[in-house]
Amino acid sequence: MRVFPFFRRKTDLREEIESHLKMATADRVARGESPAEARRAALREFGNVPLIADVTRERWGWLRLERLTQDLRFAMRQLRRTPAFTITVLLTLALGIGANTAIFTLVNSILLRNLPVADPKMLVRFGNENDCCVSGETEDSGNYSLFPTETYELLKQNLPEFEELAAIQAGYGNPPIIARRDGTQEARSAMGEFVSGNYFRTFGLQPRAGRLLADTDNLTGVPMTAVMSYETWQSDYAGDASVVGSTFWVNTKPVTIVGIAPKGFFGDRISSTPPDYYLPFESMPVLANVPYVHEPHTRWLYIIGRVKPGVAMGALRDKVNVLLRQAFSAIPALYKTTELAKVHVVLTPGGAGIQQLQEQYSSQLHLLMWIAGLVLLIACANIGNLLLVRVMSRRAELCIRTALGAVRGRIIRQLLTECVMLACLGGLAGLIVAYAGAEMLLKLAFPGAANVPIRVSPSMPILGFACALSLVTGILFGVGPAWIAAQTQPVEALRSGARTRAASASRLQRALVVLQAAVSLVLLVGAGLFSQSLNKLQSTDLKLDTRNRYIVHINPQTGGYSQTQLDALYRTIEQGFHALPGVKNVGICSYTPMEDNNRDDYVQIQGQPPSGKSASWVRSNSEYFDSVGTHVVMGRGIGVQDTPTARTVAVVNQTFVKEFFKQGSNPIGQHFGPEPATTGDFEIVGVVEDTVYTSVYWKNHSMYFIPMTQRPASWKRPLEHDESVYAGAIVIETQRPMNDMEKLTRTTLAAINPNLTVEQFERFDQQISDRFTEERMISRLSTLFGTLALLLTSVGLYGVTAYSVAQRTPEIGIRMALGAGRGGVVGMVMRGALIQTVLGLAIGIPVALICIRYVKAQLYEIASADAQVITIAIATLAAAACIAGMIPAQRAASIDPAKALRAE
Amino acid sequence: MLILKTLQWGEQHGYGISQAIRTTSGEVLQVETGSLYPALHRLERQGWVKAEWKQSESNQRAKFYKITKLGKEQLASDYERWGKMVATIEGIMTARRGDA
Repeated sequence: MRVFPFFRRKTDLREEIESHLKMATADRVARGESPAEARRAALREFGNVPLIADVTRERWGWLRLERLTQDLRFAMRQLRRTPAFTITVLLTLALGIGANTAIFTLVNSILLRNLPVADPKMLVRFGNENDCCVSGETEDSGNYSLFPTETYELLKQNLPEFEELAAIQAGYGNPPIIARRDGTQEARSAMGEFVSGNYFRTFGLQPRAGRLLADTDNLTGVPMTAVMSYETWQSDYAGDASVVGSTFWVNTKPVTIVGIAPKGFFGDRISSTPPDYYLPFESMPVLANVPYVHEPHTRWLYIIGRVKPGVAMGALRDKVNVLLRQAFSAIPALYKTTELAKVHVVLTPGGAGIQQLQEQYSSQLHLLMWIAGLVLLIACANIGNLLLVRVMSRRAELCIRTALGAVRGRIIRQLLTECVMLACLGGLAGLIVAYAGAEMLLKLAFPGAANVPIRVSPSMPILGFACALSLVTGILFGVGPAWIAAQTQPVEALRSGARTRAASASRLQRALVVLQAAVSLVLLVGAGLFSQSLNKLQSTDLKLDTRNRYIVHINPQTGGYSQTQLDALYRTIEQGFHALPGVKNVGICSYTPMEDNNRDDYVQIQGQPPSGKSASWVRSNSEYFDSVGTHVVMGRGIGVQDTPTARTVAVVNQTFVKEFFKQGSNPIGQHFGPEPATTGDFEIVGVVEDTVYTSVYWKNHSMYFIPMTQRPASWKRPLEHDESVYAGAIVIETQRPMNDMEKLTRTTLAAINPNLTVEQFERFDQQISDRFTEERMISRLSTLFGTLALLLTSVGLYGVTAYSVAQRTPEIGIRMALGAGRGGVVGMVMRGALIQTVLGLAIGIPVALICIRYVKAQLYEIASADAQVITIAIATLAAAACIAGMIPAQRAASIDPAKALRAE
Repeated sequence: MLILKTLQWGEQHGYGISQAIRTTSGEVLQVETGSLYPALHRLERQGWVKAEWKQSESNQRAKFYKITKLGKEQLASDYERWGKMVATIEGIMTARRGDA
């Protein structure tokens, strides 16, 4: 028994026909014809053997499948016969599809993904803003996303529509916590998130080990507990089962680890620093020494809940708003009647968690998607062009096939098969490019983050996206050439040989090249603008010095120091680092230039009307200005004489002077304070340059600097509750680059106190460069894509020009025979190429100018494309066009007229 | 129908069928191989004929077709329809002007 009846039938048919022919031949031989002649006559009588076989087989209904495999094999053979074409198309496709899939991978994992929790669709978040982190003020818009503890508790008690309602610390990890396992010496800086007891229950999660938090953990006075994340358990404690139930010293207080969170759970939001520990928020006053957990007016919690099935959202929202107003009306000092009327909350889907990162990156990702889409457009045009040229050069072959009885539909199907096959292969190659690319994008977007909870591993939607994209592309560039091929009249084509050209084909080709040139120009201008923007950002004079400077972030508070011990601690730190050979300056401050931090307050100058303006302020020690490279331009900096008991002084920056004093007046000796009643708080003793803090984008940033531990007499809050005296960073300036500075820093600090751990150690220039990550990513990628577009366009232009030269060889031969010079021929070919480029420019320039409007928000101090960027883009494109046109032009000029005419 | 009729006289191969139709029709009808084989395969799929490999009288291996019971019924009904049609056409052709 044969396995494949289909193949048996096929050989059967062949045999049947053969036997028919043999018998017919035999009859004729019997009638006296010669065997050869008899065979020929029999064949003639029979007709077109393969066609009849085909038509016969059609009766079986198998033919469709058979044709498909035939077409596939034929396409494979065709592609292998022209490796240069195949490789060009595959590369073009791989890059086009790869870039798109890479971007989509990132988009998918950042913008579209739900949290890895049970039934994310049922989660509802209260609020749509990413306000952070602690606020004691009202919202002008009345739209609230951040809530006080008491409001949360009121909502929880009165909303039976929710199965669970959880509260989450909005600004977790700021500052990080310090965790040390009992019995070990090493204290680690870690991310701790303070949450309500039902946090894990709300997300419907099961513990990996031990148990998760319960409502009984979130009570004041109970033994403190925490849940560790799976990733931390694995990476820091090698999955040691005895971690569960053991005691950890969190910010020097004992906490029991009750369990491990499930694998893959990265918290309620995507972050490059996901929580390592989940702690009940009632333990926050003890652990983090914050006063606000039960302050009725302080809003610091996000609320997310799981609704019961069938709850109507409109009615729920109204009920929540009523409850919210009721809660806020308990604080009449802050929420006056007019304020109260505005109070409302927007209920948003909570399945994706808190969308901070999504908001931060969405504009960039969308921009990148556009850029990648344009590159794909160029790639498609290019492939369309290449296929068109290929079909045209195969016209003779197609005509012969038509003449031999090939059905037009079959030819189109064959061409389409070839295209789809190319697209699929390209899609496959693109997928490889995509994974490498997405990995690269992720590294560009989150440099140095070890635990980004974004996986770029294969997932079905991405695979589907790539396949759909490659198929659409295949059909897109398959239809054009196939349609033209179908219009071929066999007789006409056979008759007139190579001279006929399908006018529509050449018009389509030229249109494609013009389109490519236009899109390339847009991308090149974009690349130019983003590079220019990045250059401008990076070359901004930050009024600081990064040479041989290191920034060490610390937190004496989590290290167990009380406010009264700090002055002595700072002296010890200064002495400890000065004891190291090569250390020049040891600055101590609350935060450093160019880091994501800010603290500000109102400023009221003594003897001036109320200003209503505010300024940022930083506490620092005497060596701080030197250690970051800020120059004192007037008076003096902060000195060693500015002890807690001395006169309270401040050093202001030049913008501060401009902002608060009349031009020409001397600020030295003037006094100011945060309120009209306390204008005597600080005496200005010096003025420094405008070193950039927080962000380059923050212009006219008035600042003042005060000594680390000085406190004006008017300050009501006792020292024990003044968080501002805690240092945030040490800045070390050395005489020469020191590679072992990080190790030295750690040992120096550990020698002072093992709980004084390093939160982060960076070179100063690294810290600054980290602030430009997004801009650098956009600039690099737009340049990359711009170059890619230029390359593809050049290939396209070359292809079209080379094809037209090949087509016109006899014509050029005649021209040259009639006396046309080589220069003339080169000029003629180049003119053709350049006209397309110029047309592309004519379309591209206005489009580019319009597009700038949409990316302006992402550019630094660039409102419109300057002449330089446009000129460079045009020049680059023109140069590429010249090169692409020159090669075929040279070939045209070297045509030997005699040979060309003989070929006719 | 002609193929089926031919097969009623006994099993036959493709070449034989075309020869038979030609001779019995007095060289008037020539069956194109281009229609014969597709037709045979269609009949086979419809179950009106059965095929079998056998040696022919000239000792040539050939595929012989045999009419089935279903095929015979089909032939009968086809023939009847044909007869009706011929009669109808005949009626039209022999009708005299004004009769209708």
